[in-house]
Amino acid sequence: MASKVSLKTKGKGGKGSKGSDEKSAAQCLKDWSTWAMKKAKVVTHYGFIPLVIVIGMNTEPKPQLYQLLSPV
Amino acid sequence: MAGLVPPGTTTIPAEASKTAHTKAEEKTDYMNLPCPIPFEELQREALMSLKPETFEGLRFDFTKGLNQKFSLSHSVSMGPTEIPSQSAETIKIPTAHYEFGANFIDPNLMLIGRVLTDGRLNARVKWDLTENLTVKANAQLTNEPHMSHGMFNFDYKGKDYRSQFQMGNGALFGASYIQSVTPHLSLGGEVFWAGQHRKSGLGYAARYETDKMVAAGQVASTGMIALSYVQKVSEKVSLASDFMYNYITKDVTSSVGYDYILRQCRLRGKIDSNGCTTGFLEERLNMGLNFILSAEIDHMKKDYKFGFGLTVG
Repeated sequence: MASKVSLKTKGKGGKGSKGSDEKSAAQCLKDWSTWAMKKAKVVTHYGFIPLVIVIGMNTEPKPQLYQLLSPV
Repeated sequence: MAGLVPPGTTTIPAEASKTAHTKAEEKTDYMNLPCPIPFEELQREALMSLKPETFEGLRFDFTKGLNQKFSLSHSVSMGPTEIPSQSAETIKIPTAHYEFGANFIDPNLMLIGRVLTDGRLNARVKWDLTENLTVKANAQLTNEPHMSHGMFNFDYKGKDYRSQFQMGNGALFGASYIQSVTPHLSLGGEVFWAGQHRKSGLGYAARYETDKMVAAGQVASTGMIALSYVQKVSEKVSLASDFMYNYITKDVTSSVGYDYILRQCRLRGKIDSNGCTTGFLEERLNMGLNFILSAEIDHMKKDYKFGFGLTVG
């Protein structure tokens, strides 16, 4: 953490604080949206097929659980 | 007042009035044109006839319905898969896949998911929010980073037009619009912007169809010109031809094919200007049991692909 702070002061100089705050607001939004997309991708990847199965098992007429696995 | 009407005018000959009435019906009612087909399906008849899903090796598909709306599918395929290579030769590695799928099909909501043994997921969602507005989503997700794709489409269907807006990952945006201009002719256009590759494009399309034939053409600023013509010779036979020209890379491909839809089978074949012939047969052995034979012979590249399969359910 200390090394990161020292790099920032070296790079920005006098206009340091205000410029970095504005940049970090937009940067924050980008970072949050990237984080959200990554989580959404993982959720969809693991959860889509179980979601379809759960929705399908709850429609009328309700199929039995063994019908999911047996080939008949 | 009846006495003032001259007697001659009341006796209009019956045939003249009938022909006048039918002529009025044949005159196009521009306020009541039919809804055009969606922009991405513009060349669907030609694609169905000329580009069947040929494969190589064994393919076995089993679909088990648990419900009217819900079904599971198991699919096994074994055979050589091509990998892209720098040299002119095609390199093939034998691979075997098992794919599990779950489908939920409702009049308003359709969910289709397919997952392979290596973890790749192929998901499609189609949701009819209202009678005219539809949301579609399509995703191919993999475990490898940066290799996943996703796309959302919002479709609006008007009385005689359709419009669509697309958003995809990698800052891909697109919009398309198609309008019926006469009962047989529809014209449309599309525009897209790909942020990641910094490319944008514009395209125009036209489609003329009657009961016996469909002619469609598409021009895009990416350099592609695609024209197709399908003639329905009889109930069972359709002939199709296709012409694709890229005016930037100066590539030309033309193909001619047939599509026989018979009682027990469907046979499709085509021959290409690249020296490639394809044949695809789907034979219905029994109720719900289909036998598939696929052949693709590329004389130029010396690539011969033959496949056979069985589809149950």
